Amino acid sequence: MTTNTLPSQQSKTETSAFSWGAAFTIFTGFIMLTALYVALVWAPEAVNLASPVERYAQRIFYFHVPAAWVGFLAFIFSALFSVIYLIKRQQKWDALALSSVEVGLAFFTMVMLSGPIWAKPTWNVWWTWDPRLTISTICWLLYIGYIMLRGAIDNPEREARFAAVFAIISSLSIPLNWMAIRWWRTIHPAVLSPGNNSGGEGGFGMSPDIRNALIFCTVAFTIFYINLMYHRVKLEMIKHRVESLKQDVLYQ
Amino acid sequence: MNEMIYLFAGYAVIWLAAFVFIFSMVSRQQSLQKDVEMLEQLTQQKQDS
Repeated sequence: MTTNTLPSQQSKTETSAFSWGAAFTIFTGFIMLTALYVALVWAPEAVNLASPVERYAQRIFYFHVPAAWVGFLAFIFSALFSVIYLIKRQQKWDALALSSVEVGLAFFTMVMLSGPIWAKPTWNVWWTWDPRLTISTICWLLYIGYIMLRGAIDNPEREARFAAVFAIISSLSIPLNWMAIRWWRTIHPAVLSPGNNSGGEGGFGMSPDIRNALIFCTVAFTIFYINLMYHRVKLEMIKHRVESLKQDVLYQ
Repeated sequence: MNEMIYLFAGYAVIWLAAFVFIFSMVSRQQSLQKDVEMLEQLTQQKQDS
């Protein structure tokens, strides 16, 4: 009797979870399209920039900055999940840390690709070894290293432990990255709380409408992060289901 | 139009990165789902025999 009812209950839960998940995904898609409209149409031009090319390219800002924010957030969360994993040694925390790093890497890749495209019309170079750009590259490579490290270790418990320590150490690059444009002389503008760096190349004053557009896009990207985390964690759960079924088939 | 080339390129790479990641997750999920179905069949066969 129990074996007959449990699968149906499980299937009911999965169907219900699927519909909520699907609704959330559609909502996220809608929010992201609205963010695209806000960035490309609604937001006003940065009138203090000299050429039209610069003014158009400035609109990359509305996706570049939120993508960086979400990248940082994801990497900080991965460090927190890793700390909890090291304390509790429960597999779910490792799955959350891995998922957050993967999603964060996707967002950080957006930053690393869109940055040089914005830099070319603003700084007249695709790339320069500026402190912010150099630390961002190191940060990006560290998290690619995290994924490679996980692939190189066979023992799952050891893999999770080493990865957790690596994620905690790698997360030190996040505050360093944030402060790089505030501590050192750099070409990269600090749009938010610039401190001593309000005169970075390509910097522009934020009017209330520009600020509102940025806030909206940041909220949209944060929702996108939560949605991708939901799907990535679900993937990790299926992976563990496969592992447990393999054990059943081999040793039952 | 040439004035907007960097704007198009910037948004294109951002959306491309997002779609590549989503596509990789979907394909991994489909492949794992197939594995689950196959393993569940094997487990069922083992229990029946």
